[in-house]
This record gives sequence, structure tokens and C-alpha cells, in this order.
Amino acid sequence: MTSATSAIAPQELVKASRNGPRAKRRRRSRLLSRTAVYAAIAVAVVVVAFPLIWMLLAAVKTNAQILDLRASLWPDQFHWGNIEQAWRSAPFGRWFLNTVIFAGAATLGQILTGMLAGYAFAMYDFPGKRVLFYVLLSGLMVPFATVIVPVVQILGDLHWLNTYQGLIVPNIASALGAFLFRQFFLGAPVELGEAAHMDGASELRIFWNVYAPLGRPIIAAFGIIAFLQNWNNFLFPLIVVNTTSMEVLSQGLSVFQTQFSTNYNLMMAAALIVVAPVLLVAVLAQRHIVEGITLGAVQ
Amino acid sequence: MALPYLFVAPAVVLTAAFSLLPLGMLAYRSLFSGGVFATTLQYVGLQNYSNAFSEGGAHALEVTGIYTAGFVVFAMGLGLGVALLLNVNLPGLSRLRAPFIIPVVVPTVATALIWGNLFAPDFGFINRTLAALGLPEANFTSSPSLALLMILTFGVWQFFGENVILYLASLKTLPVDVIEAASVDGAGPWARFRYMRWPLLRRSNVLIWVITTLTGLQTFTQIYVLTNGGPNGATTTALYYIYDQGFVQFNTGLADAMGVILFLISLCVTIVQVALIGRGSRSD
Repeated sequence: MTSATSAIAPQELVKASRNGPRAKRRRRSRLLSRTAVYAAIAVAVVVVAFPLIWMLLAAVKTNAQILDLRASLWPDQFHWGNIEQAWRSAPFGRWFLNTVIFAGAATLGQILTGMLAGYAFAMYDFPGKRVLFYVLLSGLMVPFATVIVPVVQILGDLHWLNTYQGLIVPNIASALGAFLFRQFFLGAPVELGEAAHMDGASELRIFWNVYAPLGRPIIAAFGIIAFLQNWNNFLFPLIVVNTTSMEVLSQGLSVFQTQFSTNYNLMMAAALIVVAPVLLVAVLAQRHIVEGITLGAVQ
Repeated sequence: MALPYLFVAPAVVLTAAFSLLPLGMLAYRSLFSGGVFATTLQYVGLQNYSNAFSEGGAHALEVTGIYTAGFVVFAMGLGLGVALLLNVNLPGLSRLRAPFIIPVVVPTVATALIWGNLFAPDFGFINRTLAALGLPEANFTSSPSLALLMILTFGVWQFFGENVILYLASLKTLPVDVIEAASVDGAGPWARFRYMRWPLLRRSNVLIWVITTLTGLQTFTQIYVLTNGGPNGATTTALYYIYDQGFVQFNTGLADAMGVILFLISLCVTIVQVALIGRGSRSD
């Protein structure tokens, strides 16, 4: 077969395949398959986005229109006041503050402890390194959900239930973060540190001024994923905190649901209040989120 | 030199205090009876385990198995399917990955509430659609199998975007020139997928399977929001059972026993990952 085709010059082959009837058929089938790809993706996007669009529309309808089976899905009138009413019906301001404190502090802690541990495991040799590393490794093997009962017992012994430290401290260490930073610093050039050492910089300075800034891409990718995870964490605040003033947004929203269980428009307005800021962050930081998701999967 | 120890101390100490110590407490206390904050514990051997099994725990494990199996099949299948479509070299397609990330990152409580309204009897969008098609009304909160289907549908919708991203990332690492050469040689899209991409995706498949399985096993929020584990325990998974026994019914012993079981199941999944990836990398 090869000897037969090699007799014809490659250019001739290309020309023939461009103009023959088979090529025309192939072009038409390619156009068809292109359209099919776009159509399939369009359907998937609509299915994924529909619930959020539904929330947006329901949030500004009257409750009567939501319940009316003959009413259209599009609001007859836009009742923007629903959102304000939902905001005033519950301490959303306080819940926002609590969520910012919890997610902010836990994420900063995860970045800092992960970076310090990852750096030390990558750059130094010290007695007991393997054992300490295995402690961290085993942390990855314990899904938090399986140990919620004893964690609450520990926090109870510390009198940390219903406090910020109770929310934050158990979430500060991220074994995954430590691994990602270790991986990163293993690949960082040693010469930079050696040069700084010659110039008389202290070990701490070398870490903070030379290597930490190199880690920016990882900080952004890991940080955004950690922040979103903390922000959306529901189970942990649910078991640690039980007073309205200490609740986070997710928890508050679930309480709001039980209180306004038949005010569907207010319920959706409240959901919108909780979703909107995260949606904004997701759109702005899309690239880092994608990087973070991929980074977290490569262990 | 003390510096390395100072650097690793926060991560190691906190991991020990809030992962390993609780795990030890869990295993130890699963052999005793007594409430969450009880000071006097009574040794009961494996009584908690047998009690957990007879008091809904066996059913919870069954629900967990069914849910997780369905979750893995659909979240991985849809994830790979959409990733393959987005990976086609057509203008504008790469921008369309963004919508799939949104359900993954917005608060689950909020989206579960929305789906609760979509699934509502009478006025809910899904029942409206069924009515428009002349089909009978489906009550997703009172029928056991429909309730589980609702939880599963939400779970897949919420999570499969993460698999889209992961599959897209691994598809991008495949050797494009080899696949294109096969295309010139007359290999159709299915043959290129079945014989070229699929074998090359093996490692990614294992990794994504592990992530998806662990996520499925730890499903909680939508169950809390949509069904509270009901009707009649139909959506009480192992984790919801732990929460319910530990913090609602205050049967700490049963919760601890189930915690140990769920931990062991998760551990098996992780060990499979390590073993398969290890084998794969040796043969590479």
C-alpha cells in the first residue's frame, strides 16, 4: 500500500482529496458534526444554568405568580423590593461578617501553614523529617466528615463551641496545601537561596523575601479554592455553632428556609443574596479556580 | 537548627490535633456507650456496631452504596462527555467551560434550596413540565425512590463540572499529533476515542474516580436541606446517619461506630488509588 501511494506526489493527493465527491461529503458531514457539538454544549449549558436563572426570576416575582400554574416563568412585574425585604428579615449583615472572618482567617492560615511546612519539607533535612511527613500524609487519609463527633468533643473540652476560634483553628491546617507547596518548592531553583545566603541573608529572610514571592501562582490557585471551600462549608459550622449571631451565611440561609418555608420569592431572594457575591468572585477569578481544581487533583 | 521544626510545627500539630487525635478517639469511643460530652464511659465491646446495623445503619450503608454508585457513573460520564465536546477544536468553545464551574463553587445550601423549589409538588418547574406532557405528578419528598433520585440529580448537577475541568486538563496533555495522524489514517471519532484517548486517560480515570467517590461518600448539605434523610430513611446516607445519631438523637456510640465504618470505606478508596497509580507509573 505504501509503495502505491508514494508514487503520487503529496500535493497531488491533497488536491484530489479537496475536490473529489468524497471530500464534499466529508465537508458536509463535518459541518453537521460541528453543529451537533455546538448544540450539545448549548443544551448542557442551559441545563447547568437554568436553576440559577430560575432563582433570579423567582426572586423578583410575587409569591402568587410563583404558585400560579398558568402564570409565565417570566416575572409579570419586577419586585426588586423582595431582595431588600429578605435582607431585612434576617441578620444577613452579621452572617456575612461571620463568614468573612471564618473563611478569611481559615484560608490565610491554610496558605501560611501550608507554605511554611511545604518549604521546610522541600528545602531542609532534619532528624524526624520522615515521621513528621507521614503524620501530614495520614491527615490526607482522614476525611473530615468521618470524625465530626470527636472534633466537637475536643472543641467542647476547649470551651470553643460557638466561638470564632472554634470555627477557625480546626480548619487552619491543610495537608493538601502543604503537599502542593512542597511540590512547588522542590522545583524552585536552589541557587537563589545560596546566593542570598552568601550575601548574608538569614534563613527566615531567604524564605520570606526570596522563595515565598515565587509561590504566588500556587498561592492564588490554592487560595481561591480553599477560600471558596471555607466560604461554602456547611457541615462544620452546623455542628460547632448554634446561636444566630455566630452563624455563617450557609447556615443562616437554611434557618431562613425553615422560617419562610412558604414565601418562595423571599426564599429565592435570600438565596440570591448568598449566591451573588460568590458568583462575582467565580467570574472574576475563573482562571485561578480552574488552576486550583486541577492542582488539587494532582497528588 | 530549630527553624525547620518551627516551620512544620503548625501544620503537623494541627493535623495531629484535628485529624489523627479525633480518629483515635472515634475508634476508641466506638467501643463505649455514653453521650457526646459524657464523662463516664462504659465499655460495651462491639455492641455499638451491631446496634448501628440493626438501627438503620445497614440501610444507611445501602443508601450510601446506591447513591455513590449512581453519583460516580453520572458525574464521571457527563464530566467526560462534556469535556470531550469542549475539547473539540472549534471557535468559542474554550470560553464555554466557565458555566460548568459555577454550580461547583456557589454555596450548596443556596442551590439545594433552588432545586427544592424546582422539585416542589404542584408549582415546581419539574412537575409543571410533567403536567404539560400529560404525565402524573411526582412527589419527590414523599416517595423514597424519587427522593433519592432528587438528591442524586442535584448531586450530579452540582459536582460534574469539576470532572469537566479535570478531564479537560488531562485531554489537553494527550499527544495531539498522534491522534491527528490517526484521523488522517481514517480513524473516526469513536475509534480515536476508544483506542487512543481512552487508554491514555487511565491514570486520570483512577484519580477522578477517587475524587468523585470520596465526594459522593461525603454528601451531606443537600440531604439536610431537601429531605432531612427522609422519607423513612430513604436518603439517610452513612454521613447523614452519623450527623443524625451524633447531634440529633445523641446516640454517640452509634455515630462513632458508623464513623469508623465510613472512614474504613474511604480508606479503601484511597488505597485503591495509591495502588493503581503506583502500578501505572511503574509500567510507564
